[in-house]
Amino acid sequence: MEGDCHYLEGNLNARRRVEYVSKLLEEIGLEGQRVRMINMSSAMGAQFAQAATDMTATIKEIGPNPLREM
Amino acid sequence: MSQNGDKLQIIAFCCHYCAYAAADLAGGMRLKYPPSIKVIELPCSGKINPVQVLKAFEQGADGVMVAG
Amino acid sequence: MIVAEQKPLNEIKTMIADAERVLLVGCGTCVTVCFAGGTKEVDLLATSLRMSTKLDGNGKVVDEFTVQRQCEWEYNEPLKEKLDDYDLVVSLGCGVGVQTLNEQFPQKQFVPGLNTAFMGLPTEQGVWEERCAACGNCILDKTGGICPIARCAKQLLNGPCGGSQNGVCEIESDVPCAWQLIWERANDLGQIDRLMELQPAKDWRTSRDGGPRKIVREDLRLVAHEEE
Repeated sequence: MEGDCHYLEGNLNARRRVEYVSKLLEEIGLEGQRVRMINMSSAMGAQFAQAATDMTATIKEIGPNPLREM
Repeated sequence: MSQNGDKLQIIAFCCHYCAYAAADLAGGMRLKYPPSIKVIELPCSGKINPVQVLKAFEQGADGVMVAG
Repeated sequence: MIVAEQKPLNEIKTMIADAERVLLVGCGTCVTVCFAGGTKEVDLLATSLRMSTKLDGNGKVVDEFTVQRQCEWEYNEPLKEKLDDYDLVVSLGCGVGVQTLNEQFPQKQFVPGLNTAFMGLPTEQGVWEERCAACGNCILDKTGGICPIARCAKQLLNGPCGGSQNGVCEIESDVPCAWQLIWERANDLGQIDRLMELQPAKDWRTSRDGGPRKIVREDLRLVAHEEE
């Protein structure tokens, strides 16, 4: 979780980079929502499954990566 | 679950200390989550580099989540 | 070091619009340490361009190569044999690097992928600040090691202007007044009396005023050059 990272600020640095890539994807011509940062602790198995389901739903809505077909 | 986009490829970059353990726990608890998620373990989510995420998309990934 | 930043992706895409095969050339010196044009940034830009042009329906070949130092002929030699394979080369070096490459390999066109910004230092990770304006006539001995040419918006030589408020320059709330810094530094050094000495108007002939500058060191030149 944020503020409770094993490496203190590792996940905060990760979040910044994910935000950067999200903007870069938009510039490139893909949807920024294709990349997402998620926080959880080691005890949150159910939350991982939920996040995986949510992410899949979001991507399903956006559609497949057009680069794969090219 | 199968109609929930199992042909999609979503890369989950997971921190060894939290999200990867959480994914492991989800498995241990027999919780179901979509097969689209492909977990890659990192020593720390802060190890993620923009170029790694971009390469995933270049090679056809539909989504990327970074968890930590 | 020379500090630069990458041009917007769309601007670079416009430059390479007519080329099918593009080579990105990074530089392993200044622009590597300011995270603008090193191996990693070349990789990121090349990947972005490959993806973006493919999405536009005219996918280009975008390859990568980084030399140790674009602003010296010797380091660019390994490029020579690669150039024939490409229509256009984007240099991720500073403005000196781009011009060195154009001069060295006139058969090929090299375009800039970066905007060269200034000479400065990283004051914290991810933040760079200008420190030297290369005026060609250093006065840091008189100003406690703080340059009013690079750091005072008006390049004043004899103290602050009326826009200095509580140590901050009026141009921006996060820009310290260079003369406030100079005064504090002189105070710490016990040299305030030195600041009382009037500085005459600066001789700008050593700066850009005299056109492109050149340094010739006869002691370092080789005989072969002298005979030219």
